Amino acid sequence: MRILALEEVTFWYPATATPALESVSLEVGSGEVVALVGRGGAGASTLLLIAAGLAPRVTGGRLAGSVTRGARAGIVLPTPWTQLSGMAFTVWDEVAFGPANLGWPEHEITRHVDRALERLEITPLASRDPVTLSGGELQRVIVAGILAMDPDLVLLDEPTAELDPEGARAVWRLVRSLAGEGKAVILATSDVDALPGVADRIIWLDQGSVRALGEPSLLAEDAMCEAGLGTTVAGLWRAAGLGAPYPLTVVDAAQRWR
Amino acid sequence: MAVNGALAFDGVAFSYGNVAALRDVSFEVAAGERVALLGRNGAGKSSVVRLVTGVLHPDEGTVWVGDWDTAGRAPEELAWRVGSVFQHADQQLFARTLREDVSFGPRALGFPAPEVRRRTDEALDALDLHAHAAQHPYDLSPALRKLAALAGALALEPTVLVLDEPTAGLDRAGRGRVADAVREHADRGAALLVVTHDLAFAAETLQRGIVLDRGRLACDEPLDRLLTSAERLKPLGLVPPPVAALSVALDLPGRPVRERDAADTLARVAGGRSRS
Ligand SMILES: Nc1ncnc2c1ncn2[C@@H]1O[C@H](COP(=O)(O)OP(=O)(O)OP(=O)(O)O)[C@@H](O)[C@H]1O
Ligand SMILES: [Mg+2]
Repeated sequence: MRILALEEVTFWYPATATPALESVSLEVGSGEVVALVGRGGAGASTLLLIAAGLAPRVTGGRLAGSVTRGARAGIVLPTPWTQLSGMAFTVWDEVAFGPANLGWPEHEITRHVDRALERLEITPLASRDPVTLSGGELQRVIVAGILAMDPDLVLLDEPTAELDPEGARAVWRLVRSLAGEGKAVILATSDVDALPGVADRIIWLDQGSVRALGEPSLLAEDAMCEAGLGTTVAGLWRAAGLGAPYPLTVVDAAQRWR
Repeated sequence: MAVNGALAFDGVAFSYGNVAALRDVSFEVAAGERVALLGRNGAGKSSVVRLVTGVLHPDEGTVWVGDWDTAGRAPEELAWRVGSVFQHADQQLFARTLREDVSFGPRALGFPAPEVRRRTDEALDALDLHAHAAQHPYDLSPALRKLAALAGALALEPTVLVLDEPTAGLDRAGRGRVADAVREHADRGAALLVVTHDLAFAAETLQRGIVLDRGRLACDEPLDRLLTSAERLKPLGLVPPPVAALSVALDLPGRPVRERDAADTLARVAGGRSRS
C-alpha cells in the first residue's frame, strides 16, 4: 500500500533563492524502510519535514510539485529536546500526550504508552520529570511519544544521535520491526554503518537533488565512498587500494578475506 | 591529593535529590592529553561535565582544575581555565550573529578588542565557519550550531576543554573538522575530556577511554585496547566501532583502530598474501 508520494517536489525556505530540495520524486509503501543519506545541508531534514506536513505549513517557505500522504505521520526531529510538550510532569504523561490528543479511549492510551516505554527500555523512568532526564533518556522518551501515537508513516531524523551504542542498535532493530508491522519508515542518519541491516532502499541526496538511489549495496560504491558517504569498511578497502567491488560490512569483509 | 593533572576528580560523589549520579569517581587528565568519557545513557557523563564547568559542585570529594578546587567557584570564574560545549549546544547560543556568539566568552573575560578579535578569528578558522559568521545562530542547521558552540569554547583558549557529544548529528566532514580542531587545541597543551557515544570518532581522535557505569568508574585504559575487546565493552553498553571490529575479524596485526592505520595494514597484509 502506498503511504507517501512526492512528485517533482521543490521547496524553498523563506527568504532564500536556492531551493533546499529540487525536483524530488519518491514513493514509499507500507513495510518499507527508506534511508536518506547525504552531507549536512543536502536536504534530508527538509524532505522529512515535507513528508511530515510541517514544511511549508510550520516552517514557512514555498513548495512546488505535489505531496500525497495516505496515512498519519509522526516525526522525531534532530533536536528532540525541542519536542517536549512542556505540559507533562512525568515521562508517562509526556509519552501519553500525543495519544491523548488523538482522543483515544483511556485503555487504548495506556496500552500504547506502556508498549512504547517498553520498546525504548525506559519503563523505569515512567514517573520521572522529563526535564531532569539525561540526553539519551530524553531522546528515547521523544521516540516513544511518537511511536505511542501509532503512526503509519514514521519519520526519524538522526534518531540515534544521543543514544549509547547498545541503545542505537536497539532502535535500528525497532525500525525493522515497525516495518514488519506494516509501517513505512523514512529516516536520515549520519551513521551509515547501521544501514545495511536496516534500510531497504538508500536515497543519496546531494545539494537538494537525488543523486542516486538503490539497495544498501550502493553504500559500497566508489562514488559514495569518494563523497565520504560509504560504509567505513568499504571506505577502508578503497583506501587500502584493494579492488572494487568493496565489501559493505565487517561480515562481508571477513568472508572475502578468507 | 597532589595535583599534577590539568583536571582531576578525587573521590567525587554527586546526587540530584534522590537520584545518585556519581559515586566515588577519581581520575586525572594531564595537559595535552585527549580522553574519551564513555558509558550508557544515564551513566553520569554529563554530570561530570557540569562538575568541571562549575555548574554543579560535588557532594563529596574534590574537582581540581589545575590548582583550583572548584568548590566555591562559579562558572564565570572557571571560564578562565575551562571551555565547554554542552550536550544541547543550541541552548548555549544567544547572540544575534554567530561571530558575536563566538566572541562572547573572551569579551566576558574582559580582554581588549584586538585580542577578542584575534581569538574569534582563530576559532572561526579552526572550524571553517567564516562563511557563516554574519548569520543568526537560529538560521543555522543544528550541526552548524554545534560547531559554533565549539568555536565559542575554543575562543576562551582554555587549559581544560570539556565537550559533551560534540559530533552528534554531524556528517563525516563535520566530524573531521571537530577532530582536527580539538587535536590542534590539545597539541597546544590543553587537557581534553570528550563525552561521546561516537566510538569511531573517539578511536580516530582520542587516546584514553574512561568508562562510567551507573555513576561509577568502570574502566580507564588506552582506547585502542579497549575498543578491540568486544567482551569487555558489552557489559558497559558499548559496541566495537567498525574499524576495530574489522581489525579483530580479519585478525590484522597490531589490531589498528584508526582508519589510516587499518588501511595501511590491510594494504600491507594483502600485498604480502598476493606475493606468497
Ligand atoms: N536535574 C536532574 N534531576 C534529577 N536527575 C537527573 C538530573 N539530571 C540528570 N539526572 C539523572 O542523573 C543520571 C546521570 O545523568 P547524566 O545526564 O549525567 O547522564 P549521561 O551519562 O550524560 O547520559 P546520556 O548519555 O543519556 O547523555 C541519570 O540517571 C539522569 O536521569
Ligand atoms: Mg549526557
